[in-house]
Order: sequence, then C-alpha cells, then structure tokens
Amino acid sequence: MKTLLFGIGNSGRSDDGLGWEFLDKIKPNLPIDFDMEYRYQLQIEDAELAKQYQRVIFIDAHKNNFKKGYLFEECHPKATDSFTSHELDPQTVLYLTDTIYNKYPKAYTLGITGENFSLAMGLSKQAELNLSNALDFFNEKMLNLVK
Amino acid sequence: MSQKIVIDPVTRVEGHGKVTVHLDENNKVTDAKFHIVEFRGFERFIQGHPYWEAPVMVQRLCGICPVSHHLAAAKAIDQIVGVDPEDLSLPAQKIRKLLHFGQVFQSHALHFFYLASPDLLFGAESDPLKRNVVGVAMEYPELAKKGILMRKFGQEIIKMVAGKRIHGISTTPGGVHRRISAKERSYFLDDKDIPSIDTMIKWSVEIIDFIKTYHITNKIFLNSFAKYPSGHLGLVNKKNGFLELYDGVLRATDAKGNITLDDVPNDDYNKYFYESVEKWTYLKFPYLKHLGKEKGWNRVGPLARINICNGIETPLAEQERLDFKAFSNGEINNMTMHTHWARLIEVLYCAEMMKNLLEDDDILSNDLIRKGERRKEGIGIIEAPRGTLIHHYEVDNKDRITRCNLIVSTTHNNEPMNQAVRWVANNVLDGNAKITEGMMNQVEVAIRAYDPCLSCATHAMGQMPLELQLFDHYGNIIDKKIKN
Repeated sequence: MKTLLFGIGNSGRSDDGLGWEFLDKIKPNLPIDFDMEYRYQLQIEDAELAKQYQRVIFIDAHKNNFKKGYLFEECHPKATDSFTSHELDPQTVLYLTDTIYNKYPKAYTLGITGENFSLAMGLSKQAELNLSNALDFFNEKMLNLVK
Repeated sequence: MSQKIVIDPVTRVEGHGKVTVHLDENNKVTDAKFHIVEFRGFERFIQGHPYWEAPVMVQRLCGICPVSHHLAAAKAIDQIVGVDPEDLSLPAQKIRKLLHFGQVFQSHALHFFYLASPDLLFGAESDPLKRNVVGVAMEYPELAKKGILMRKFGQEIIKMVAGKRIHGISTTPGGVHRRISAKERSYFLDDKDIPSIDTMIKWSVEIIDFIKTYHITNKIFLNSFAKYPSGHLGLVNKKNGFLELYDGVLRATDAKGNITLDDVPNDDYNKYFYESVEKWTYLKFPYLKHLGKEKGWNRVGPLARINICNGIETPLAEQERLDFKAFSNGEINNMTMHTHWARLIEVLYCAEMMKNLLEDDDILSNDLIRKGERRKEGIGIIEAPRGTLIHHYEVDNKDRITRCNLIVSTTHNNEPMNQAVRWVANNVLDGNAKITEGMMNQVEVAIRAYDPCLSCATHAMGQMPLELQLFDHYGNIIDKKIKN
C-alpha cells in the first residue's frame, strides 16, 4: 500500500523533534512503497500531496502522557478553525483533500510523548524511551504487516 | 463615558498584532492604533558572526519569505567580497532571479488564495466559520485547487534552486553554489509531474480576469474601503524605470505621482531615510528625511510597485498593468483594496519571468562565482513580496559583523496600516459601543490588504495571533476580541 509518513516538529526544540527523529530511525527499515516528508508544520499544500497516497501517517510529539509513551490511532477528516492557515492539524489536511479531490487516504496519527519543548538540541531521556517504544510498535505492527 | 476597543489577535496575517480603538463618551472614535507587540532582535544577535553566515541566519526571520531575506543579505554580502550586483556572472544572476520569482509567486498565491480570498468571496461580514480557506475549498474547489498548485509550483522552484522549500541555501558570496540541470528544469516545462509553467501563466491570467470582474461588481466597496492618500516606494529598473523585483534603484512618489525619491542607488538609502520609534509598538516608522515624519511615509508592496513603475517587461503583465492604470485614469492609485489586483498582476509577471528563465540555457552554466576586493560594508535591497526590503551590514577585519540594519517591508507599511485601521475606526466602528465580529473583521481586512509579516517586521517568534480592544474614556477595556 503506497504510504506517506509525515514527521512533524522542530529538532531545535528538544522533544518537539520526535517526529523527525522517528523518520530518521525508521528510514532504513521502510519498504519501497513508503515515502517520508519532514515538516515544521502541516500546510494546505499537504492536502494535494496526501491525495497521491493510499495511506498517510502523521507522526508528531505530544504533550499528553500516554501509558506506553505513544498513541497510534485512526484519523478522520474534520474541518477546524485556526488563526492561521500555515499551521493545520492532520484532520483538516484530510478534510481539504476530501473536499477538493473527493477522496482521501486512510490515515493515522502517531503521537509520541515529549516532556521538554524548550530551545535545545537532542531529546530528553524520557522522550528517547518513548521513541524507542513507538519504533518497536511501528516495526512490529506496521512494517511486519506489509512484508 | 469614553471607551476603548481591542482586537487581539488580528487573524490571517503573519505575526502577532493588536488593534486598539479609543472612543469618547459619545462612542465617537478619538484614536486608533495598530500595535506590534513582539520583539526578537535579529539585528543585535547577528553581530559577531562571520559575514558569510548572514544569508543563512537572517532567513530564519520568516518561514513564508525566507528567500527574500536570503537574497537581500546575499546581495549585501556580495559587496563585502567586492562584487556589485552587475558584476555577478550572468548565470548566477539568472538563477537568483529564478529563485526570487518562485518566492514572490508562491507568497502572493498564498496570500491571495489562503488569506485574502475568503473576505472577497464570502464578504467581510459573512459567517466566520465559513470565511476561511476551508470554506473556499468547499464552495470553490477548482479555485482552491489552482491556489494550492500555484503555490506548490513556486515552492518547487525554490526547492530546485535552494535544495528545500523553506530555509534552503542557494547563494554564496559572489554568486550561487550550484547550477540547474536540464532534468531539473524539464520538471517545470513538460507538464508531466506538475502543471507546467505555461499552465501557471494561463491560470494567472484567469485569476486576474476573476479579480477584474469582482472589481466591476464590487466597485463601491473596493474603491472606497480604507482609501487614503500616501506616498509609494519601491525599486524600479535603473535603465528604463520598469517594474523590478531583484535589483534596481529606489523611486518614490507622493499621492499624486510627483517624484519624491528620484531613482536613488541602493548604497545611498541611508542619506534619505530615518526611522522613528513610538512607545506603543515595537515596529519602527521609516520616512523620507527631506519630507519629515508627517509627510515622508510611504506604502510599499504590489500597489506601490505598479504605481511607480514605467512599465513591465513581460507582455501579458504589461497589458494588465495598462488596464489597471486605466481604471484610475492613469493617476496614482491610493485605493487600498486594489492592492490585491496589483498583487495578481505581479503573479502573472513572475510566471512569465520564470518561463523566460527556465528556457534560458544560462541557468545550466557552471560560471557561477565572482570575486573582488574585500570591503567593510554591504547594502542589499530587494523587492520582497510585501515590499522594499533593506539589509545593511558592516564587517571588521576579522570578518565579523559589527553592525546590522534591517528595514523590512512591513516596517515601511507601518504608518499605512495605521492609516487603514484609522479609516475603519472612523468609518465602521465610530458610534458603536459594542463591536460585532463583522466589524472586527473589517479592521483585519484593511490590514490583510498589506499582507503584513509581523514576525519579520519585529523579528518575532512564537504563536502570532492578533487582538482588538475597546477602551473607555478612563482607559478601561470595555470590550475585547481575541482569536487563537
């Protein structure tokens, strides 16, 4: 299944770089029909990109303290209001894809718990652990399924 | 009892701003101000860095038009290594221009389709839940699709030249660091993976036709809303006075078209400009010294550029400029809402220029870098999407930057935006103790015409919304609107 991974965040703000770090780590294991995109934030043009895939997974740092250190869940189109159109949530990107192109991919979000979002390079120890758990999950559940 | 209205934050603009409106005891407007409440200080913390880092660092001012900062700084740093704009190799000049036109094209597309079109398509007082890009996508999917693909085209040009869409690197002191390959340029010409440059030109013409029709059907609103006399400033081509976005001379006119700055070389900008400071905003107020603070301020950006230039070198955009000028009988156009029309003429100009450059084999050349005699000072001026952008650096013998002065487009537009806010206060809010969402949005519509980048202007960081506050006669806030 042609799949796109969006890694969202900013590695200059410590654990906010979890989405990018996830892509860096998972890259060697990805099958040929998986593509990756690094994003500071999702934008309207990403609706056009999403339409080219059968499945899209949005990976981002999360402030919620998930039990396993991450949360993987299905994502559905939904229009949300924002003060700017330069920072969209995954649901709105899917909503735009559906509205403009009359189709949208199956989509998921993978939120990984972070604890330090201040100006700094590198992940906190807890975020490293959460990232490791998320990678194990992804390798086992997602990538094994497509092999 | 007098009152004060506050809009905080202003939405669908780049940056965090605030509007305050003061009313007297009869709810008559006594004062209105547009405040920029962020501060970042790029001019200070770049000091001490090696000069070659400037084009990379300063583009972090902005995620929307980093290319403009990259190129303005690069032009200044070229001078530090002894290379004036005309001494760059022809391939380097053309590759930089291609990057710049891609930047202006994508930024204008973003502004028109994503930020401004909801007000035009649905009306300034329509349901705010619908008055956004999602609403545009729902009701005008073909228009939204074109907007997305036009912005994407400009971003792909940037990615080709600078390596990535945001914060890429193309320039090196005295030139550019890589050429374009034949395979890379064919991506924009062959109409396979993305709509071609010819399609971009076709769509640009179509969207101008749309705005011209819109002007016919909404003439009263567009001709009167936030209209006021002002000066107009920008670069023009030094040989023929035509529209110029990359390198030219500074020209300004007053509200009637009389020349107030007569094709001044970039290096002399300091002789002509002062910047004043007010306690209530971090944004400075530039003005022409010889006219003084009250009369010396100017609009910059698409409306100013189309007003001051003698012509446009590409045929389709030139025809549109002539139609635009005919609308105001050849006179200087001071109608704020006509800025969107002028912006779309520039979209077409950029598309035509990109086609010319993409079809030019010079961009495939390896003749990319020039060297000269080291200097201590460099000034780079460029027309960014929002207007005239000035970068000025001084460097010591150890190659460290000792002084940096940045005058960004939105800074020039500070007084014009305040004038626009005052117009709405006097014509829409005056006499109302309670502000409706529709009234509040009209303040924002006036500001949005300038496409302000408040983060650039104050070099700010973080979330960037805008607010409106209503103050009474004693200075108490009696109403407040905040969007987040």
